[in-house]
Amino acid sequence: MIALLLRLYPAVWRARYGDEFAAILEERPIGPFDVADILLGALDAHLHLRGLASASPSRKGSTMSLRVGGYAAISGALLWFLGLLFGSASETAAVFEALTLVSVVLGTVLLLVALVGLSAFQARSYPRLTWAAFAIPALGAITSLAGLGLTAGLGERPVIGEYSAWYVWMAGTLALIVGSGLFGLATWRARTLSRSGAALLIVGSLAIVPVLVNLGGGGERETWMAFVVTLLAFAAGWLTLGIAALRADRLPSTSLKGAPL
Amino acid sequence: MPPAVPELGRFAEPALLILVSLSDGPKHGYAIMADVEAGTSRPLGPGTLYAALARLEERGLIEALPPVDRRRPYRLTGIGETVLADQLRELTEFAELGLRRLGRSPG
Repeated sequence: MIALLLRLYPAVWRARYGDEFAAILEERPIGPFDVADILLGALDAHLHLRGLASASPSRKGSTMSLRVGGYAAISGALLWFLGLLFGSASETAAVFEALTLVSVVLGTVLLLVALVGLSAFQARSYPRLTWAAFAIPALGAITSLAGLGLTAGLGERPVIGEYSAWYVWMAGTLALIVGSGLFGLATWRARTLSRSGAALLIVGSLAIVPVLVNLGGGGERETWMAFVVTLLAFAAGWLTLGIAALRADRLPSTSLKGAPL
Repeated sequence: MPPAVPELGRFAEPALLILVSLSDGPKHGYAIMADVEAGTSRPLGPGTLYAALARLEERGLIEALPPVDRRRPYRLTGIGETVLADQLRELTEFAELGLRRLGRSPG
């Protein structure tokens, strides 16, 4: 009887589910309700397998958001780490200065991609909070890139009033870091990705306050320390979020500790 | 109408029951059937169960674990947990709306 019922299903389906399905049918007596249900199930399997090619665009979209966002966050964060390393050695050789610039530009582009991808995923649960937190860092990243482009083209010449393009880059980068803290707050609240990553981004945005306060001068050592803490927390936060995104895409629910239920 | 697990058509309700059943840990097919029946007092047929399981697996909401004997356990993925939380939240809001219209306070 069980073998006969199983034969009603397509071969592809039997290859995947046949053994466990037969084990279930052997666990208890099969009544008329079960037979009718299995007949409908077999019919559905034939129809469903035929339509599989066009199945599930939203799942693909959601997975794509997580994957793209995750990979972009990881590579963007690593490039920012590299930028930090190259930047610390930039006074020893001109090549390090160029490498710093390339790392920061590519890292910023990738973090912008990460912002879009991870926001698209988180917005499924918390659209207003997520997109509100998306706006500032995204605007900051775009401004930062524009500032770098203008710096390369115009050098020290003023572009806004008496301020050179360097100030545009700096303003954009600060907005990116502070805005990433807001994105971290949204992530912390949404609980859909790593809370450790979210906390690091928040720490990064708070650690920049002494830098902003001391931009006018004074306390250089403390300002430099705060700047390093800011950048390290910023990059580590994005790295952690990127890893969490890839784990959420692949691993079971334990990878989303604290996700709302 | 209460919202359904998206794009699952007539399998939306069984799919939701399966997701809830898996929310406290991995289960194999027979354990899911028993759990759903115990929780809803309605039987979940094996044909319906596997039609819904196949759809949930394709959409990445659940994943299969290595079989133990011939039984294969399934568990929620991260995305599955998020989707389930969304569905339950929306169902709660819908239920509260209905109770308010009936003049009965939720809970």
